[in-house]
Amino acid sequence: MGITKKYWSSLDELQNTAAAQEALTSEFKRDQSVQDFLNDENLNESNTGRRDFLKFMGFGLAAATLAACETPVVKSIPYVVKPEEITPGVANYYASTYYDGNDYGNLLVKTREGRPIHIKGNKVHGIAGGGLNSRINASVLGLYDGARLKGPKKGGADIDWNSLDSELKAALAAANNIRIVSNTVISPSTQRAINEFSAKYAGKVKHTQYDTVSYSALAKAYGGSVPTYDFSKAKTIVSIAADFLGTWLMPAAFTSQYAQTRKPEGEWMSKHYQFESNMSLTGSNSDVRTAIKPSQQGAIAAALYAAVTGGSASGVEGADAAIASAAAALKANAGASLVVAGSNDPNVQAIVAALNTALNNDGTTIDKKSPLNLFRGSDEGMAALVDEMNSGSVDVLIVYGVNPSYSWMNADKFNSGLQKVKTSICFNLFADETSSRCTYMAPDHHYLESWNDYSPMKGRTDLAQPTINPLYNSRYAQESFLRWSDNADSYYDYMRATHNGGYTAAMLKSDNNWNTAVHNGTFAAAVAVAAMVTPVATDATGAAAPAAPAAAPVAAEAPAAPSMNIGEAMAAVSSAKSGEWEVTFYQKVTMGAGNHANNAMLQETPDPITKVTWDNYVTMAPADMTEMGLETYIGQCDCASLVTVTVNGKSITLPAMPVPGQKRKTLGIALGYGRGAGNEEIGKAAYQTGRAGVHLTEGDKRQTIGGNAYPLVAMNGGHASYTSSDVTVAAAAGTYSIATTQMHATVMGRDSVIKETVIATYLAEKGAKRGEASYNLAVTLPVHADVNKDGTIDVNDRQSVRDADLWRDHPVEGVGHRWGMTIDLSSCLGCGACITACHTENNVPVVGKDEVLRHRDMHWMRIDRYFSSEHQTIQIADTLANTKEATEKGTIGAYREMENPEENPRTVHMPMMCQHCNHAPCETVCPVAATVHSNEGLNNMAYNRCIGTRYCANNCPYKVRRFNWFNYVTNDKFAMVNPAQDDTLRMVLNPDVTVRTRGVMEKCSMCQQRIQAGKTEAKRNGTTVLDGMIQTACAEACPTQAIVFGDLNDATSKNAERANSVRSYHALEEVGIQPNIYYMTKVRNIEATEA
Amino acid sequence: MKRLSRSFISKILVPFSAAMFLTFNAFGGVFEGGDAAKGESLFKANCASCHKTSEEVLAAPGLKDVDVRWKGKDALIVKWIQNPQAAAASGDPYIKGLRDKYVPTFGWMAGQAVSEADIKDILAYVKTAADAAAPAGGAAVNKCMTLEEIKAEKEKNEESDGTVWFIIIGSILAIIAVAAANISKSLKNAINEREGLPPVAELSYWQSSKAWMWANRKFVSVIGLFLFCYFSVVGYKSLMDIGVYDGYTPDQPVWFSHAIHNCQNEIDCNYCHSSAVKSKHAGIPSVNVCMNCHKGIKKGAITGTSEIQKIYDAIGFDPTTGSYIQGYEQKPIVWNKVNNLPDHVYFNHSTHVSVGKIDCKNCHGPQNMYTVGHVPTADEINSQEDLVGLVKLEKRPFTMGWCLECHNKKEVDLAGSAYYQQMHERYKASEVGQRTLREIMEDGSATVRELGGWECGKCHY
Repeated sequence: MGITKKYWSSLDELQNTAAAQEALTSEFKRDQSVQDFLNDENLNESNTGRRDFLKFMGFGLAAATLAACETPVVKSIPYVVKPEEITPGVANYYASTYYDGNDYGNLLVKTREGRPIHIKGNKVHGIAGGGLNSRINASVLGLYDGARLKGPKKGGADIDWNSLDSELKAALAAANNIRIVSNTVISPSTQRAINEFSAKYAGKVKHTQYDTVSYSALAKAYGGSVPTYDFSKAKTIVSIAADFLGTWLMPAAFTSQYAQTRKPEGEWMSKHYQFESNMSLTGSNSDVRTAIKPSQQGAIAAALYAAVTGGSASGVEGADAAIASAAAALKANAGASLVVAGSNDPNVQAIVAALNTALNNDGTTIDKKSPLNLFRGSDEGMAALVDEMNSGSVDVLIVYGVNPSYSWMNADKFNSGLQKVKTSICFNLFADETSSRCTYMAPDHHYLESWNDYSPMKGRTDLAQPTINPLYNSRYAQESFLRWSDNADSYYDYMRATHNGGYTAAMLKSDNNWNTAVHNGTFAAAVAVAAMVTPVATDATGAAAPAAPAAAPVAAEAPAAPSMNIGEAMAAVSSAKSGEWEVTFYQKVTMGAGNHANNAMLQETPDPITKVTWDNYVTMAPADMTEMGLETYIGQCDCASLVTVTVNGKSITLPAMPVPGQKRKTLGIALGYGRGAGNEEIGKAAYQTGRAGVHLTEGDKRQTIGGNAYPLVAMNGGHASYTSSDVTVAAAAGTYSIATTQMHATVMGRDSVIKETVIATYLAEKGAKRGEASYNLAVTLPVHADVNKDGTIDVNDRQSVRDADLWRDHPVEGVGHRWGMTIDLSSCLGCGACITACHTENNVPVVGKDEVLRHRDMHWMRIDRYFSSEHQTIQIADTLANTKEATEKGTIGAYREMENPEENPRTVHMPMMCQHCNHAPCETVCPVAATVHSNEGLNNMAYNRCIGTRYCANNCPYKVRRFNWFNYVTNDKFAMVNPAQDDTLRMVLNPDVTVRTRGVMEKCSMCQQRIQAGKTEAKRNGTTVLDGMIQTACAEACPTQAIVFGDLNDATSKNAERANSVRSYHALEEVGIQPNIYYMTKVRNIEATEA
Repeated sequence: MKRLSRSFISKILVPFSAAMFLTFNAFGGVFEGGDAAKGESLFKANCASCHKTSEEVLAAPGLKDVDVRWKGKDALIVKWIQNPQAAAASGDPYIKGLRDKYVPTFGWMAGQAVSEADIKDILAYVKTAADAAAPAGGAAVNKCMTLEEIKAEKEKNEESDGTVWFIIIGSILAIIAVAAANISKSLKNAINEREGLPPVAELSYWQSSKAWMWANRKFVSVIGLFLFCYFSVVGYKSLMDIGVYDGYTPDQPVWFSHAIHNCQNEIDCNYCHSSAVKSKHAGIPSVNVCMNCHKGIKKGAITGTSEIQKIYDAIGFDPTTGSYIQGYEQKPIVWNKVNNLPDHVYFNHSTHVSVGKIDCKNCHGPQNMYTVGHVPTADEINSQEDLVGLVKLEKRPFTMGWCLECHNKKEVDLAGSAYYQQMHERYKASEVGQRTLREIMEDGSATVRELGGWECGKCHY
């Protein structure tokens, strides 16, 4: 049978508070009543007389008429010498690679007339199918950011590269201690340049690598390098607070692997247990999620280890049942299971490593032999460097690819140390926190302007190629190292020389092989891990060791076995200190470690769980907030309560956000916010913008977005610890408005939006036809006719929705094309890559926080997140009565427990965009026929016809139409946030899609421009449109293939096959509007009793 | 254009090797048996920008009687076309003659990526084209504008507009009329004064004209009604003209003549506007495309020398030495866009040119009869009676009504493409499809409109 559930999108909807009821009835917030408006005293000041009004009106009319008569002369400027590969109007794609110290991805960059405008995954040659996340595909905006440094600077004044080089060489020659601090360097050629530099200043140079978000404990557990994981081979996945689908290690790759086995059609479906405090993206997708305190992470790992190895372990409060179940599943799937932990505590990681070894997972789901080169940074090393800087013995500091003045846990100490460094130089692209404090700023090229090579893991080297000429007077950081080593090579030549037999085999010596490698963006070549280490940096004494010869390829060596003693680790975690309150510092899926603070598109992409844009906050359990008297209804008003969280003696004040699923008495704070606290020039979108569109200021400084949580991170045994038990939390004065996107799209009690079932039910009815499975019955309506011919007209007389139809059929079924999509709710993980891909493809305007607060976000596609809790209280009570917990509480206690389903709800992520209904209710109400149906099943929107009545939006049951309230391209209100308003950022716009103006309705067009282009291409080549030839931006960006686009009339297409499957249904099918978008029932790998 | 006499073409007969003769006899030689129809498209794509099929020298020798001149040297001419430098290295005296004659002026011909079979077809076309042109006596040339006409158009272009003079004369006349009325009034007053009558009332112009109008109210009403109607019609028409640009011929930085390039020299539209076949834009040729010919052609018949110099200024070419200037800062040519659609219209050239096989002239009119780019009027388009497949349209060019009119009339070639064949199969396979298909094919043909060409989303997104 199907699961009857109640879906709710906010706590207030669940509890049906008065505020929620009001929100249900009004789509838009009633901002101000007419009474209030007329009584506004300021109104009189803006007095306009009738005559003045008429004069202005007349003048305006005349001026507009005259202006319209003028024939505009449009200039057209062709190339002088057109590059051969460029055809105006035709896009070129180039393979490249993204690496920013935190995220890694293989890309295809779409360029138009030499401008990169869109980024998608390199599906053929990329790691794990080239999945990307929203941070990477939105990163194209960073290229054009007008705040980028335009050239080298010294103390705020411009300087030319030659003077910079000569001054710096003098400083280097005079220096005794030269220090380089960088993120993990995974580029063999960059490493070679650094090595050459170290050799030139032999005995003086030390290279410290640290990662903004550290994985040093994990690396330590595996002898120095993080192993590679393969989630696609794991039948049981246990994650202890690792958000591997959102932010942990290589989420883009893991997402693709994970989703492969989450489709119930496969041979088997993985079962995923998650133990965590915050509701993470990964946790929201797990089958069994158990909320724990951060201090329990070690105990969970220990208990699992004990259970698997047959030892005995003391119980873990509140998690015993889940541990027992997880341990049993792990044992049953030994060799095909995987345990990961997000903790940066070496003891926890040692136990997890031992656990995986005990489960025989090494070599199947964990590959220690091809470790990652990523995340080899050392927190201890960085701390030592900061101490050294403070002692005043560092003469020259070179900062490359990191921003320690912002992201180092003890940034104040770093900054004071930096003042004692005689000469400091930073390669960052912006005058950010660190580079504005350095003596010199020597901006590196943006990654889309650069050649580079990356070795993300053993046996694989990826190439990055420039897709545009450098926009500004920047220079490769690597060339800077070379110049200071008296090497005049260009970085390109230097990089080619690297692969001519230096570090890798000489396979790329021939131009042919090289060109193939650049074309593919990768080549298989083993770069030894040892070769990736700056020779002197490994010297523990700090004394200089001679640089290793660059030419000799170093043989690969297997990482050493875990050095930790498992007994010691078990003892250490058992004595883990717990506190009344505990905190977890996490990365948000949209913001990551904070590298993208100036990316307006990412700032406006809602967080997958809280749906909050443009902010960070403290996530809290709703019950805790009620206890503390904090506001739990986060509507669109100034109502979020502020709390001050003090961790290890340092405080931060942020709004409190109630998040269902948060463990009681725990807090979650996102890293990566609060950039630019010193008013640095890091981009307009990195600061808060007020109602009038100007930056909000505090004193003479612009207000940052959210607060910086890095200073609250503490060092624990030489590793940065992202959890803490030394926490106090107190309500702070004042309230704060938080812009969430989901309050205005409530599910309105229509539970047919989402369908879900459990695996056993699915398998039992696998052979059923579409519409016949118990969890996905075809929708019928009671009619006033004796349909079943039993002589009476009663509730049993039901007819299919299709038969009771108001509209005339559009001849699209079986005729020509019928474009449609299928969205698999089992594979949709809610990561949001589709949202940002849609943004850049379709020129979707960014509107800023104030407009999001007014529900005027313009997202063409959104991901609705619904929490679910049980309806069938009796059955659940039976279930609960069988658990130890429920028995203790008694039946009444069990019922009471169920009144708080938000303690651990289940989550569904549902992408929602225009459903392109064949019987579209929006079309019939448009008075000017601006939205009409095409003979290919699309609901077209002609902007130039639209007069903005908004009837269509009112009539849309999915609430996917967006009204364009402002001229976002020219209105001053959006000058700080909208990319189209920046002279350079505007270049990111897709020239194939109109930039909509004020007063029109817009919505998903199913990437009409791509459909038309694909059809033209087929006709031009004299072929048919082959399945997969046309892809919408969202389907292309989806790392899990949850979204599949295609021609439903092409019976052989993957899309048609999915649309006809037993799982597929239409959202709100009973309305009878026959959408062309199908959803596929979510199947959870849980027992029916667990549902 | 400098016309060269054909006297320099010496027919050098050279002995040929027996082996070569035998080799080519097996194929019948490159000068025999080629497909002239195939050759025509190949010629236009690869050769026409420099060679003519007549004796005329464009940027390279005219190809008339090429078979006679190269008789027996089949292998060599293939080599010559595919790799001129290599062929020259063979030391053939005729090639040496050609090289001495043309290379200093025009530079080396680029090696052409054509196969031996292609060359056979091209040569067949050259032969037929030259033969066909001969008896007609240059009829094709006569259809083009003559140099005098082109010159006249340029001069006309430079003449100033007459409207301004009308306005000036009109205002002078109005001033005179007012002055005359005053004089008449003064004289009348003088007469009245002398005759002892009271002076004419001191009325303002407005009052006096009101009085006059009242006195002649019938006449004024009729005229007024007429004027009202007239200005309503004129006003309506001029409002309907907003955004309609037929006849628009903006000034251009280079006085480029389509009549010379396209009509007289028969350079295919797609040679310069090469992206029209594969992109949404037809594109304005970049200067390096101009230089393909103008590296050699440095003088023109009318104003060519000064206009061609503008290309050299843009790209940095020294016509006296015939070489590019090193380190020259190139300056792009800023053209005025002629055919300009609003941003909310998506138009794709390749869909129309490559898929729909629409002749450029069907939308752009007899562009070969114009000098600089010009938006044609409906009449200009429709008057091209000899244009094969011309769709005559009544609406004004480059308006939406015009697009829709064509989409309503133009038939789609269903059989010619696997795409349409598949669509056809789909229609046949379902009941709804069959019904729809019957509606579409009622008149025996499927128009663009019937296949969805009138839908908003096909052009607006």
